[in-house]
Amino acid sequence: MTAKARNYLFISIAVFFFAAFLVVVCSRKKAERPEPELRSRTIENGSVTQFIKVKLFYYSETSAFLQPVFREIEVPEIREGLYKKFIDLLLAGNSGLITPVPDGVQLRSAFYLQKMELLVLDFNDSLINVFPGGTTAELEFIYFIVDNICYNFKEIKKVKILSGGNENKTLAGHIDLEKPFFPDYNWLKDE
Amino acid sequence: MKHIIKASTIFISILFFFQILTALSINFRSFDHEGFTRIVFEADQSFTFSVRNRPGQLQVLLPKRADFKAQSIIVQNSRLLERVTHEFKEGNSIFTVFFKGDVTVNKNFVLEKPFRVVFDLVKSEKISTLPQSTPENIEKPQGAQPAHQPAEPAASKPKPIETICIDAGHGGEDFGALGKSKLQEKNITLQISKKLKKLIESKTGLRVIMTRDKDSEVSLNSRASIANNQQAQMFISVHVNSSFRKSAYGSETFFVSLKATDQEALELARKENQNPEDPGETIKNDELKMILWNMAQTEYIRESSTLAEYIQFELNELLGTRNRGVKQAPFRVLMRTAMPAVLIETSFISNPAEEKKLQNQEFLDKIAFAIFNGISKFIYYYNNIVK
Repeated sequence: MTAKARNYLFISIAVFFFAAFLVVVCSRKKAERPEPELRSRTIENGSVTQFIKVKLFYYSETSAFLQPVFREIEVPEIREGLYKKFIDLLLAGNSGLITPVPDGVQLRSAFYLQKMELLVLDFNDSLINVFPGGTTAELEFIYFIVDNICYNFKEIKKVKILSGGNENKTLAGHIDLEKPFFPDYNWLKDE
Repeated sequence: MKHIIKASTIFISILFFFQILTALSINFRSFDHEGFTRIVFEADQSFTFSVRNRPGQLQVLLPKRADFKAQSIIVQNSRLLERVTHEFKEGNSIFTVFFKGDVTVNKNFVLEKPFRVVFDLVKSEKISTLPQSTPENIEKPQGAQPAHQPAEPAASKPKPIETICIDAGHGGEDFGALGKSKLQEKNITLQISKKLKKLIESKTGLRVIMTRDKDSEVSLNSRASIANNQQAQMFISVHVNSSFRKSAYGSETFFVSLKATDQEALELARKENQNPEDPGETIKNDELKMILWNMAQTEYIRESSTLAEYIQFELNELLGTRNRGVKQAPFRVLMRTAMPAVLIETSFISNPAEEKKLQNQEFLDKIAFAIFNGISKFIYYYNNIVK
């Protein structure tokens, strides 16, 4: 057998095993996201309050992907209140990890459109006024918000971002903000 | 078990014969003409390639194994060429053409039937005095056209690329991203864009328009509009990146994404645009037309993807920085362009090391040259499609 033929044989075997590997990997069922766990707890005044455990994802300098952190949120009576609490907790950040949100940015309100499975988030004017620019920075902010909220609340399928109550064309000249965003879990490390 | 072994053997045999049948065979030839030397790599099938210009040599890289008649060939009686070598290294077939003295590639184009990659070489000082016409009976370039041809009415059939629009990101009050040393994105994008314009005009003779050629503010819609109204056939938006992560670095090239939201809007627009009493007739509704116009780029997604691949490959080759790859995102400036369109993030101004590089003119020259190389390859690809 010539060297050329040996090379072809080697490549063929490699292709075969690669194809077999792909078949095995593709046939594996993707892990389901768990529903947030509802817990009851008695607080100091004796009343019982319900909490859910949520999984927050942040960036780090050592990885381009979001890193998971576990927290608990008290469940308010109004569902939108829960979403707002969740975003507030997210924006508060986590020590040692990066929160891709400019200083001074706060969520004004959150409202959910059930038929459209759409959550509308209205941030204050600072979002547009002080956003630092850069395509990656815009994508980091958008998917930090969208992936986190959609990952933890299954009823939300897409997110629309407003600033100061207004629709804005972009955050800083790149990504179109007029349409809502679906999550892109490629940004999550453990997905 | 026996059946598995038997099936595997048959499968491997089929692949083995398929590999032999699809092996790429390359022939090389050269001609001395008045004022230039033409070299041709001919193959029995088309192939993708990249080019490295190095002092005293030219390298053509194919991302697959190719057959060549010898490892090294002396080029007899050539004014500019010494020898050609071939090697297979790290998955690439590398053809290296060694020159006699200072030689420059003046033109590079691709021809079909049979597939040929052609380079016109000149002594370095002769670029400006090259004859414009190509001798007959040899390979003729398809891509380059005389500059500033009169505008023709828009034709339904795509035509070879004659006009390119370069969009220098940001400008005026919109500084873009800022570096730690207060370096402004808008100035870097303008410098790179001007260098790129000069390269395209001097090396291809194609018409180049710019969305801005000074420090002025141009809206995102106006940028797309300028390109569309000037009947540009390619839109190149030049940007400098920034991240919340200071360690992020490298280059990436984007084209527009077609996520579900876009598809939903398109379907909605189509449905609502139909007159229920006469489904064949469309209602004249400016708002709905606008929804569709927002998606002008959808017609060109495939071409934009190819253009992005060519440019990103060259950026990776020439800059030697981290290859962040070709990506998709809903860029507002690209959505309304009715032509192949990409947005290039050349490097990160938020990374202190890359910010320093961006202050170096040689680095900006390299970026412009890499983008130019990617554009050139796309032009040959595109012009061969529309031929």
